[in-house]
Amino acid sequence: MPAANPAGDPALGLGVGLRNVHFEHILRNWPAVDWFEAISENFIDSGGRPRMVLRRIAERYPIVLHGVSLSIGSTDPLNVRYLRRLKRLADEIGARWVSDHLCWTGVLGLNSHDLLPLPLNEAVLEHVAARVRQVQDILERPLVLENPSTYVRFRASTWDEPAFLRALCEATNCRLLLDVNNVYVSCFNAGSDPLAYLDAFPFERVVQLHLAGHQHCGTHIVDTHDRAVSAQVWELFRIAWQRTSGASTLLEWDGNVPPFQTLHNEVLHARAVIGGASKDSLATVAAVDAEAINSAREAASTPIDFLLPAVMSQRTWSPA
Amino acid sequence: MSAALHDLQRWMHQALITPDAVDPAIANALLPGHRLIASECLAIYQRSYILRLRMCLGEQFPATRHALGAPLFAAFADEYLRACPPSSHSLYDLGERFPTWLTETRPDREAPEREDWIDFMVDLAHYERELFRLFDAPGFEDGPWPTTSSDDRTLVLQPCLRLASYQFPVARYYQDVRADRSPAPPTGAPCHLVILRRNYETVTYPVSALHFRFLSTLQQTQNIEAALADIAQWSRRPLNDVTASWTADVRAAWIEAGFFARAQ
Ligand SMILES: [Fe+2]
Repeated sequence: MPAANPAGDPALGLGVGLRNVHFEHILRNWPAVDWFEAISENFIDSGGRPRMVLRRIAERYPIVLHGVSLSIGSTDPLNVRYLRRLKRLADEIGARWVSDHLCWTGVLGLNSHDLLPLPLNEAVLEHVAARVRQVQDILERPLVLENPSTYVRFRASTWDEPAFLRALCEATNCRLLLDVNNVYVSCFNAGSDPLAYLDAFPFERVVQLHLAGHQHCGTHIVDTHDRAVSAQVWELFRIAWQRTSGASTLLEWDGNVPPFQTLHNEVLHARAVIGGASKDSLATVAAVDAEAINSAREAASTPIDFLLPAVMSQRTWSPA
Repeated sequence: MSAALHDLQRWMHQALITPDAVDPAIANALLPGHRLIASECLAIYQRSYILRLRMCLGEQFPATRHALGAPLFAAFADEYLRACPPSSHSLYDLGERFPTWLTETRPDREAPEREDWIDFMVDLAHYERELFRLFDAPGFEDGPWPTTSSDDRTLVLQPCLRLASYQFPVARYYQDVRADRSPAPPTGAPCHLVILRRNYETVTYPVSALHFRFLSTLQQTQNIEAALADIAQWSRRPLNDVTASWTADVRAAWIEAGFFARAQ
């Protein structure tokens, strides 16, 4: 893999999202995975085992912090206490970079714990850019922002997402995390072309790619992170990976999390995709009807890793 | 700050919390999707919102969920989430107010007699929250820990330890749920518990009423001698007997179990 991407950050190879159900496996086997991405919120306030485990894992693997509560697009003030704690954690584990999403998660002091979409226009760009600068000042490093999965379109949007992100990068020098599954999901839901999205995307700013599985409900797609990556998303990944000259790639899997080896094998499939013969991209990506439409009940969109403590180890014992 | 953006966020967030009372303004702000009308697009967020938070709350209160049964727990969860929508950046805090909310909204709060099963739910929820909190609270893993030969004057209760009393045997019930033993609701039996974390393991120790009083006094005074004097007075036993019992019966076991920190 190349040593660095166009943005100058080191390419870390093929990684997986760090999930608490795999803690034991990782600590016992130290699997040959290139790197891990940890959900910031699961560790920033941790005074217990999660933080201890993360510290140990960070001694052996590159770690990237991926947040879900920054709420860069909210009209609430930024949570400075959260940002300071995030910086402390990033410094403590030597995080290669810190990312979050182009979204808002709540307003009026509340948090929906969802990655809610923003209307994309000049006023919102100004609003978000000012906040990105503030975040970068506190974190003392560039912020990396991810394109979210979206299910609604706003009347107030005048820009498409690639153009908005390009302008945001120019205004703030932030970097981008391109989630190719989110591209596929959002484009399907909006009825737009994912290849045109990639054609317009500012790849020179991309430091990382995300892969994940989704649930196709026929009329819409939900970003569930609970299954293998679809063929269409692998094809988008192949194109995106080439255009980034090999950005660090990470598989997210949050629901029905399989054994670690299954997860690792799924991201290693990227090697075959990267090295594979070029397919007829348009045909593969547009082959929506060929994709299994999942008639099972719609799962919750899962932008968040529900890392809950394994309080299972709790015991009751009578000392005397 | 953009006023239009603020209004949009207020509407949309409200539409998640109260999906049955959506402000028409939000619908006007949305365009239809490719194959869904605007309200159906919004409904994807509305469904995910409650599904995600309900599931997460259930994972923080597995025994309470078992005791209530999944459908009733979901009904309680939905009510709670509507009354107390999450405000923290961390999902860990989602259940913080749940036990108190259960207490305040218990269906028999106006009735002349309290119902046992509700007392049990409230107790269990409090206990589960305590475990959950202690699991990731600032800990005392790095010590310093005392040994059995440490002087009594250096023994103080370690900071990652809670004392709690319940009217039901919640710890046993919780253990049984976690071990998939599908326990039936227990009958009332007051219990006093020491809940602590050591080596990243959260452990519950049932103790007698006398020991609980001793530990509670110790928590306030951090002074073994004063706590022993209090027990002698309260139990009307000679201080020498009480001290002898402390030394012979519990001291070493409690030190080894991690009740104490060594004061610097
Ligand atoms: Fe992602």
